[in-house]
Amino acid sequence: MRRTIFISLVLGVSAVFTTAAAAYAHGENSQEGFLRMETVAFSNVQFTKDTIKQGEEVTITGKASLLTTWPRTLGEPDTGFLNVTAPGPVLLMKNREINGMSAPDAFFVKKGNAYDFKLTLVGRDVGRWHVHPTFSVAGSGTLIGPGQWITVQDAGGFQNNHTLINGQTVNLENYGLGQLTIFHWLGFALGMAWMLYWTVPAIGGANHRTVSKLPVTLRIPLNTDGQDIGLITPRDHRISNYLLLATFALLVVGWVYQSVSFPIKIPQQVLRFTPPELPQPAVFASAIPKDAAFDPQTSTLIMNVDVTNTGKVPMMLKGFTTSSLTFVDQTSAGTGAEHVMVISPSATIAPGETKTLNLTLRDPVWRDARMIEVNRPRIEVAGQLLFQDQAGVQNQTTIASSVNPKLI
Amino acid sequence: MAATAAAVSAAEAERQELRGLLHKKYRWLDYKFDLVFWVTAAFVVGAAADITKLLFAGDWDFWTDWKDRQWWPIISPFAFIIIPSALQYIQWLAWRFPTGATYTAVCMFLCSWVGRVYQWDAFVTYPLVFVWPATIIPAGIFLDWVLLKTKSFVLTSVLGSMVWTLVFWSSNYMTLAPYLQPTQFMGHILTLADVQGIMYLRSQTPEYLRLVENGTLRSFLDETQYVSLVFGATVTIAGYWIGQLIARYLAIWPIGRFIKRF
Repeated sequence: MRRTIFISLVLGVSAVFTTAAAAYAHGENSQEGFLRMETVAFSNVQFTKDTIKQGEEVTITGKASLLTTWPRTLGEPDTGFLNVTAPGPVLLMKNREINGMSAPDAFFVKKGNAYDFKLTLVGRDVGRWHVHPTFSVAGSGTLIGPGQWITVQDAGGFQNNHTLINGQTVNLENYGLGQLTIFHWLGFALGMAWMLYWTVPAIGGANHRTVSKLPVTLRIPLNTDGQDIGLITPRDHRISNYLLLATFALLVVGWVYQSVSFPIKIPQQVLRFTPPELPQPAVFASAIPKDAAFDPQTSTLIMNVDVTNTGKVPMMLKGFTTSSLTFVDQTSAGTGAEHVMVISPSATIAPGETKTLNLTLRDPVWRDARMIEVNRPRIEVAGQLLFQDQAGVQNQTTIASSVNPKLI
Repeated sequence: MAATAAAVSAAEAERQELRGLLHKKYRWLDYKFDLVFWVTAAFVVGAAADITKLLFAGDWDFWTDWKDRQWWPIISPFAFIIIPSALQYIQWLAWRFPTGATYTAVCMFLCSWVGRVYQWDAFVTYPLVFVWPATIIPAGIFLDWVLLKTKSFVLTSVLGSMVWTLVFWSSNYMTLAPYLQPTQFMGHILTLADVQGIMYLRSQTPEYLRLVENGTLRSFLDETQYVSLVFGATVTIAGYWIGQLIARYLAIWPIGRFIKRF
């Protein structure tokens, strides 16, 4: 027995320590990769800080694009919600802007549109937390953007003060707790009084026994209280009436209290709006994927894309964004670039020129983030190519292609 | 005439017998047995009621910004009455106690508070003032009182369900009231409850999932709340009979199949 307990403990502790790190994230890799790539592309996501004190702000900015490759199997996107995923309310949402407009609630979305977001949060719970922006689409699910660890340091406590229309400032961490506790536990006291009266013979009388009453109760009709044999007595009725009156009095007192204390109340509000569309630069780039191949052994994706410059000045391919990943051209990538790609023959395309670009994206993230897997019903890649002309104007072109995996 | 007298006499004799049985002392069935029963059953009853509530009306009971005047008084009374109704039948049938609803309410009250305080407040750190559970203890007392007075499950289902819904709303509205005060947030007029819902992150609960009043051309203008209460009372009658069916055919009927009746 001791040996079994010991082995169980060792296995349990080992399981916790070996899997806890993986479970600490938010399941961003659990959704099927091809669906993540075809639905929402997060680009240019920035966190202003990685360490804050309680009550201090951190802002997350970026762009979420609802791609035109959105699968029909998920239904037409109609309503979306930009939020943050974190291990509970460790941070508080203080402000949310979509395309420059305040967006407390969900908003109407359209396939092909892009949404610049700015999420302002404040630190609440002390600790180190993994935080991601998320884009939820009604009827489909939630897509998770690039995450970052944020450390919230102790500032000697936290208050979430908020000012009402009447000028009163309240701390939302505990506002109303006193009256909530009083009303609830007064009700509980009445409930206990009712129960004790009816179930404790020393209080309610000898007729308030339970199991030993079965030979009696089963012999009389259900629709009788057995007053003639003393099953329920006039005293029982009288005490029950008193307890009911006490309950009614509690309701009256509570109702009067809330009417006097909180005279101005409104129903919960639901805000919906369509964000203004972002200004669209003139289109100068088009791209048609020719083919794509993936080698699971080396986690390398190779795409051939026909790119046309329809503008009047030369343009360059700067990067490729898919789901929460952004790959930048290796030749122009800085040292901080997380993911890079090799473009050949050259990323520059002259005006009017159509060129087949070979993109090599060799990165373990394809495998680690489960973006392309061969045991899925669709083996595809999708995302946005980022082009930039000499004037700095950018175009994002959505592409999607089936992938030929190297299986043997 | 003689036959009538005999019948009266027989009835009186039966009454005497039942009176005797009522106060008969049993060696092994003293009050300790009762105590063990009430206390151990509390966990099962509380859990059953809490799970049923969470199954049908979970979010409405968790968040202040879901406790609205349209859907909350419809969904919650229906979900909350199922197990109290079942217990009411069982306890009335077995002991003639009008206690089933109150007993369930008290047990569930403790279960809910333990869950909210330890799981939601202490462990996940949602403020209790955002995730407080609704109480049905006053409604339970009213429902049991209706059964005591009517001695009829049909009448209790109709009158009691109406009273239950009204008392459920009024007993919980007093605790909801402070969170319905208006405030300005992100440039909009919202209730404090809305602000709680926006600020305290619910990662996998997008706001559009919130089923609250958002207006319809079929609304009775300012009467949404009253229409909801009336409709909620009607739906609650169905909930009451679901509870009765559970009690009669899942709890009592199997016992009667295998245990000899007295």
